[in-house]
Amino acid sequence: MKLLVRIIIMLCGLMVTSAYAENAPQTEAKNTAKPATAATLDRDSTCTTCHDENESKPILSIYQTAHGNKADSRTPSCQSCHGDSAKHLSNKSAAPDVIFGTKSVGSHAPSEAKDQNKACLTCHDKDAKRTHWEASVHQTADVACTSCHETHTAHDKVRDKKTQPDVCFACHKDQRTQINKFSHHPIGEGKVACSDCHNPHGSAGPKLLNKNTVTETCYTCHADKRGPFLWEHQPVTEDCTNCHTPHGSNITPLLKSRAPFMCQECHDGPHQSKAPAAGNVEGTQGGLTSVPNESFAGRACMNCHSMVHGSNHPAGALLQR
Amino acid sequence: MKTHNEEMKVSLLALAVRCALMATIALPLSAYAADDADALTKPSSSVDFGVLYSSQDSARFGQYNGLNKKGFYGLGGFDVRGGDGYDRDKNSALRWKLNGSDLGTTSRNMGASIGEQGKWKFGIGYDELRHNITDTFQTPYREDTGGNNFTLPANFGGTNGGVIPASRGLTPTQLSAFHTEKEYSTRRNGSVGATFSFTDSLSAQIDYNHLEQSGAKLIGTGSQAGINLLGGSTGRAEAVAMIMNPTSSSTDNINAALNWVGDKAHLTAGYYGSLFHDDYNSLNWQTQQTTAASNCVGINCYVNNSMSTAPSNSFHQANLSGGYDFSSTTKLVGGFSYGYNKQNDNYAPTLIPQISRNTPNPYNMMQANGLPTTSLNGVVETTHGDIKLTNKSIKDLNLSAGFKFDERDNRTDSNTYKYMQIANVAYTGVNTPYSNRKLQYEAAADYRLAKGQNLNLTYLHESLKRWCSSVVGGAECVSSPASEEDKISLTYRLKLIESVNFNAGYTYADRRADTTNFLANAGNYAVVTPVSGSAFNAGNYQGFVAYPYASRSQNVGKAGVNWQVTQKLDLALNGRYSYDDYDAQLGVQNGQSAAVNVDATYNYTDDGSVSAYWSWQNGQRNLTSGAVNNGVAAFTPSQIIAPKNIWSNKLDDNSQAFGLLAKQGGLLGGKLELIGDLSYSLDTTTYATDVPYLTTCATPASLTCGVVSPIKNELISLKLTGNYKIVENGKLSLSYMYQKLNSNDYFYNSQQFGYTPNRVMPNGLQDQDYTVNVVALSYNHKF
Repeated sequence: MKLLVRIIIMLCGLMVTSAYAENAPQTEAKNTAKPATAATLDRDSTCTTCHDENESKPILSIYQTAHGNKADSRTPSCQSCHGDSAKHLSNKSAAPDVIFGTKSVGSHAPSEAKDQNKACLTCHDKDAKRTHWEASVHQTADVACTSCHETHTAHDKVRDKKTQPDVCFACHKDQRTQINKFSHHPIGEGKVACSDCHNPHGSAGPKLLNKNTVTETCYTCHADKRGPFLWEHQPVTEDCTNCHTPHGSNITPLLKSRAPFMCQECHDGPHQSKAPAAGNVEGTQGGLTSVPNESFAGRACMNCHSMVHGSNHPAGALLQR
Repeated sequence: MKTHNEEMKVSLLALAVRCALMATIALPLSAYAADDADALTKPSSSVDFGVLYSSQDSARFGQYNGLNKKGFYGLGGFDVRGGDGYDRDKNSALRWKLNGSDLGTTSRNMGASIGEQGKWKFGIGYDELRHNITDTFQTPYREDTGGNNFTLPANFGGTNGGVIPASRGLTPTQLSAFHTEKEYSTRRNGSVGATFSFTDSLSAQIDYNHLEQSGAKLIGTGSQAGINLLGGSTGRAEAVAMIMNPTSSSTDNINAALNWVGDKAHLTAGYYGSLFHDDYNSLNWQTQQTTAASNCVGINCYVNNSMSTAPSNSFHQANLSGGYDFSSTTKLVGGFSYGYNKQNDNYAPTLIPQISRNTPNPYNMMQANGLPTTSLNGVVETTHGDIKLTNKSIKDLNLSAGFKFDERDNRTDSNTYKYMQIANVAYTGVNTPYSNRKLQYEAAADYRLAKGQNLNLTYLHESLKRWCSSVVGGAECVSSPASEEDKISLTYRLKLIESVNFNAGYTYADRRADTTNFLANAGNYAVVTPVSGSAFNAGNYQGFVAYPYASRSQNVGKAGVNWQVTQKLDLALNGRYSYDDYDAQLGVQNGQSAAVNVDATYNYTDDGSVSAYWSWQNGQRNLTSGAVNNGVAAFTPSQIIAPKNIWSNKLDDNSQAFGLLAKQGGLLGGKLELIGDLSYSLDTTTYATDVPYLTTCATPASLTCGVVSPIKNELISLKLTGNYKIVENGKLSLSYMYQKLNSNDYFYNSQQFGYTPNRVMPNGLQDQDYTVNVVALSYNHKF
């Protein structure tokens, strides 16, 4: 803990020195010749002459983003994305070639999603994360890159773990409700993001999952469930969502149903799985006058069969050890 | 941990003062930001610090946010950016960043990165999360959280499990041994990553993270029978106790990739490694229940038990993915992965030393020559392949065709394990390593009917095989050795006018599962005799099919509309409905789910907005099942259950949520911003069981039919925040949060002292209701 405090103090110190540092070279730079990178800004000036700091949207803050790092030779100019926009340059009321976004602004409607995306994919179509974009569910649903990304702001909400879910929930409204259920991953708390499991740009896995299968995706964090176990439980080896609902549940831990009812969906014969249950699961407080049965009350089947993800005990075939 | 928190609070308060003093010095130096254009183009750094007060101890409220204790917490965060890459006058792409948040709680995280864009980047990170599970768990066991050896106090004494009330009637001495343990699990994740571009077309990246997990999660345990105790009785079988199963483990994840990008193609070759290490391979505990009255006193009253924990394991995967553009309209992408998963952890001990003079001592869980190996030497190979061709050469028509292959090939040996069940009955088990292979063929066409009007048609065929290799006895081990599924989806999208978007879709799927060859006592058996009761249909009654493996038809419909009424007002409505119908005489018969979402956002000024949503979701599942002996004859699983002996159960899961968010800025000359966030949710889960053949099922002594009290969780949350700009770069935030949870779950009934099942040790777990008020004051300084 002391180390942590020291680090934080050092960071505060760094904050102070960085304020000095930011100031000093800037003064020095004013007395030097214009570097080559500054020249590349000249092309932007075609646009920034009018679209300056007075815009209602912070146009110029794109220089705080990766798209504004002019010393990187790959960095686009305004017209790389918005098109040459010759008509707009000669007539300010005419629309530029490509208008990004999802909503009409003034008299200008946004360009079609495919045209917006074409501008982005000029540079971003050839990397591992976007390999499966074409014909993916988001691509065919006309989702534009700017439906999720804000390229002109320093803080792109969808790339921040704490704010990303709100971006996704703009469309995925069922999940917005589910992540607030009693049992949930810490998504609303900003510790798990949608992109920890999903790749919105397309994937080879189901439901745009990052990994090839559901189980592989879950094992990224839950490697203790990977095994292989000596005694496997067949539905566990195939798909965690046979029993769990990852976005949230009223039943802990992220279960689709509560034992013994959940177990009875797959078992009708062994032990008590064939016995109907109802108010007896509530025990004495629920009005039961006989002594509750451990096969139905509390964890029910999992009072004893607790190794439901698999057992590695030589004497654990019934998932009890 | 409490001590740590206290240190943190004090330290952060002191730190806040120091930071404030430093910030005071720095303020004049950051005046350069006064220029509007510079303020937009230069990075904005910030540091914030403050104090928060939470009014109640609650593990549930503090489940993930670290605010599980009543009291004061330090608030701290920073986001500092810099580098010549932000300077337009410098020919440098170097940028760096330091960030941290929630530093005063157990949800803290920090990171740092530096890189020359387009050339290289290096970053480190630390993320901590304490999952607070409950603070009401009571146990008589002596062991700290995170340990694996749970012993009872010497004076705890035995419990006569042969009579009622057994655990419901613990003695005063026994009750006095119970103490409260906080159940939590902490994850600490450190990461480091780097990317390097060799050329414009060739780059490499590597990421490594180390996850440490500590703490414990509750697990159910059943005790061993057959151990004679001093005093004339024996240990009770399946006496249940909740134990704090340690989560003492680490996982190392490594991702490395080499990326090549050409004019018409790109290729990525990668490696993914995941190494899981569990510090324990067994969980050990004592039980005090006996089969009959005993005059046993002291430590000789107890039975020592042992079970396994999650085994250490490794996974190595080679990945290759890429694409090739035949033309601007025709593209091919694909990937291949091969994974090797190994687990060879030593088995947990099977010879369990019993306390002196208890017999047998030690207790051998295995029968003679019943243990064929001392570790599994388990190997699973996973293989994945995918390929997709897309074509846009026909105007307004996008075509795609794809193929996917996924295989889990469990190459672990099958052996016979002869052991003693926890009821001390000889049992012979054969492990059945499960394998499966899934093939998917997909074809899709997206046609633009007119501007703003699209129709998408997708067809998918899935073929699934399941098997076990070289199982002792040669049995068919799996539920549903094969299935074929066809799925067709039709989606229509319409931009009715520029401001109205409408979409609707329908999907029909038909899965045909092969269950005819399903004769196995799935999982664990030595000899398969198709006509014997125990080996037939996985021990289930004839006609029963577990729903994941049953033939099924599925209908899904969904529709939605988004309407930008004006530049200021947006409305949205969407819904979905699905119905699954299973072809099984017994088992889940059908399930349905439905949802409706309504959203409205009104941006009444540039500085003010109100948004609201309402959401409703419902899920239902209907199950029919064969009855336990109806008093007429003892059924065996090989028999067909007569309709009069069938019971049914219905699950009804309901959810409603409402949210209202209001923001108003620009107050007091632009210095004040107010934010209000109100949300409400109500979730209920209900089970109803119908047992038509048993007229006495509803009697208080039985209660095996009727409706179960809903599992109900009602959450209301109100957060009010005011941000006031006290200086040009300084903002003071005052926030208040009220959150109340009403939780009602019958689960806890049987955990209470005096109310447990006869063989279950009470633990006093409580519903996790809370009403928490939180006030926070923080200062944010930008520079």
